[in-house]
Amino acid sequence: MHCMNRRKFVKSAAITIAGLSVPNFIDSLVSDLGAAERIDLAVARGASPSKITRAAVDAMGGMKKFVSRGDIVVVKPNMAWDRTPEQAGNTNPEVVAEVVKMCFEAGAKKVKVFDRTVNDPRRCYVQSGISDAVKALGADISYVDERKFKEMNVKGEAMKTWPLYTELFEADKVINIPIAKHHSLATLTMSMKNWMGVMGGSRRQIHQRLDESLVDLSGFIKPTLTILDAVRILTANGPQGGNLADVKKLDTVIAGVDQVAVDSLGATLFGMKGSDLGYVKMADKRGLGTMDIAKLKIKKVNI
Amino acid sequence: MQNLRRTSQGIFLLLFLFLFIQTESKGRDALGYPAKIFLDFDPLIFITTIFSAHAVQKAFYFSLITIAITLIFGRAFCGWVCPLGTLNNIVGAMKKGRPKTEDRNLYRVKYYVLIFLIISSLFSLQLAGIVDPLSLLIRSLSVSVYPLFSYGIRAVFDAIYSADIKGVTALSESVYSILKKSVLSFQQPFYNQSLFIGALFFLILGLNLVEKRFWCKYLCPLGALLGILSRFSIFKRSVSEGCTSCGACANVCQGNASPDKKEEWRDTECYYCWNCDDVCPQNAVSFGFSGKKAAASMDLGRRRVITSMASGVIAVPLLRATPLSKSEFINQRLIRPPGSLEEKEFLKRCVKCGECMKVCITNGLQPTLLEAGLEGIWSPLLIPKIGYCEFRCTLCGQVCPTGAIKKLNLEEKAKVKIGLAMIDKGRCLPYAHARPCIVCEEVCPTPKKAIWFEKAKVKDRNGKEFIVQQPRVDLELCIGCGICEAKCPVVDKPAIYVTSIGESRSKENRLLMEGY
Repeated sequence: MHCMNRRKFVKSAAITIAGLSVPNFIDSLVSDLGAAERIDLAVARGASPSKITRAAVDAMGGMKKFVSRGDIVVVKPNMAWDRTPEQAGNTNPEVVAEVVKMCFEAGAKKVKVFDRTVNDPRRCYVQSGISDAVKALGADISYVDERKFKEMNVKGEAMKTWPLYTELFEADKVINIPIAKHHSLATLTMSMKNWMGVMGGSRRQIHQRLDESLVDLSGFIKPTLTILDAVRILTANGPQGGNLADVKKLDTVIAGVDQVAVDSLGATLFGMKGSDLGYVKMADKRGLGTMDIAKLKIKKVNI
Repeated sequence: MQNLRRTSQGIFLLLFLFLFIQTESKGRDALGYPAKIFLDFDPLIFITTIFSAHAVQKAFYFSLITIAITLIFGRAFCGWVCPLGTLNNIVGAMKKGRPKTEDRNLYRVKYYVLIFLIISSLFSLQLAGIVDPLSLLIRSLSVSVYPLFSYGIRAVFDAIYSADIKGVTALSESVYSILKKSVLSFQQPFYNQSLFIGALFFLILGLNLVEKRFWCKYLCPLGALLGILSRFSIFKRSVSEGCTSCGACANVCQGNASPDKKEEWRDTECYYCWNCDDVCPQNAVSFGFSGKKAAASMDLGRRRVITSMASGVIAVPLLRATPLSKSEFINQRLIRPPGSLEEKEFLKRCVKCGECMKVCITNGLQPTLLEAGLEGIWSPLLIPKIGYCEFRCTLCGQVCPTGAIKKLNLEEKAKVKIGLAMIDKGRCLPYAHARPCIVCEEVCPTPKKAIWFEKAKVKDRNGKEFIVQQPRVDLELCIGCGICEAKCPVVDKPAIYVTSIGESRSKENRLLMEGY
């Protein structure tokens, strides 16, 4: 993560210096980096999960903007449940596969995929369809190794320290790919709540102060990119579902760097607002991101 | 011949161990390997199950092949196939010195065991699995030896990992990952009674140091059954005129078959290991097809036979005259695997082989001690705190050899109740302590959740009012899988727990008025 920040800093410093010293080159340089216009969120709609995933990332400036040659990338889907893709309990496998593919295209050296599951990990990885989908692309999909959780200083309001998965913090880039679902305490679970999948220890305790904990955790992790899978959303009996009547097909993917903004826009898919979610409101207040989507530049793509 | 036999033994042992290791979920709905196939070929379980339950799984007709082979070749199964026999051979190899050649009449004991088992099974008591060598071996490996092996290996690699020795740890980790993909279990298994069941198993192996293949010669009821069948076999041993009675054969005989006594050779005790043929300096021993019956008669002693038959009969009321036989006296902790037959029928079939415990994806299936009475010792029960029943997993029914646990498809499985969850309001956080917690509801796997919330206005000690969601169990939807109990944050004594009440298989242990 530090690596990412440093690289980002170097890159932006270089641009600034280049821009100041050689004004004529500014335009070409900036458009090369895909930052011609500032886009906060991209929303892609269409029948093909892989195509809309690619379209959303392209709209954000393309994967090359986020992943550099030689990077080790962690792609973190939600695959916590022993459910099949049509039940919408886990991130859509086609979405995950497309993200993995784009990471490799951008030059990633290694793409790691994992989740600390709730149901049996073997069933979750296989039944979600994610294991088969990303293995074929050459990603490292591995079960969580309990030895690799290290107590970390989250220094949050509710969460002071917690054992978190070291592989996430050793990676150059982190891409969060949650699915949008109903949850009885968080109301909705999307990107910020997906970080529970890198928590070790007895994470069931955090429900006593869930909103604070999620904001603490999200502030500590800060992903490179967030891609919210709303190909199918789960509207009730979440977060694992099981009843197809609760699943709504939206054929949508949202991408963004600001995870608070992603979750805030995600809430609208359920007919809610970001301010209906305690953790989004709290995260906005703490300056982790922007809840007010009216203030954001959102690019919509239909394919 | 010895090499050929050892090769055969090795192949069958490796096949057995391979299938044993494959008796584990890979995340798909079906196992992909015929994990229980050795048991399918076991005629002792076949016969006793027919007697006790008057029904048998189709796969057991494979055991007719074993019977047919024995009717042709005698007890070759013991010498060439049986994995426990091979293990006994291996351990027996550590015993040095000449075997006792004097006749031990102890060999009759296994026939008394067999008679006891057959007679008691005729009266519906299925105890064969306790001492059947294949069942015993699978159970001992599942519950004791394999967890021990796994624990030891993991401890070593974990120690190297945490010591983080330069160069060494990287190497050990790559070896470890190979082991994890091949011989190690997915997660460390833990079982109740692993020490007890393991001790019995190591005792059996240890008896080889008293006498090689002690178990096979004196105790094994499957050996006894095959021994009786081999009376009728057409493949016999003969000794030619050239025999000088040097006694070399008696020293190498694995089965106590008195090979040195020529005409008094006991076909029922011979494993057809061919050692006597191999070792004979005169080359006087040969095996071949002949209609000739062996001369040694099989004298078990009428009184002893009657005694063992009588014990088989008496065992039935002796084991069943317990309060557990009263229909109202139900053990709340006896949560049987999904698809288990009604308790009486279940006990008639379960052979305590431990396949279901080995395959259980959460390690929740554990061997009983006395929860199901002495009759049901080592049969499976679910302990949700150790591991819950995974909603979409049907593996236990897939590996059960006798149909004590029915094979269910996913739709059937989703409807089977193995118990019901109840909430302990004195410990549940939203009830007793006005703290939010929704874990039981979150993990509840039924499509429409069996746990729902009632919003309640509560006060903290400062009088501040707020609303918490208090969980309630929908008894019609709850299937008793126990994931709520397993994941409850009140870990030591969960605030929600499952007992056997409401299990679909029982008419007595019901709760709701309406049928389901």
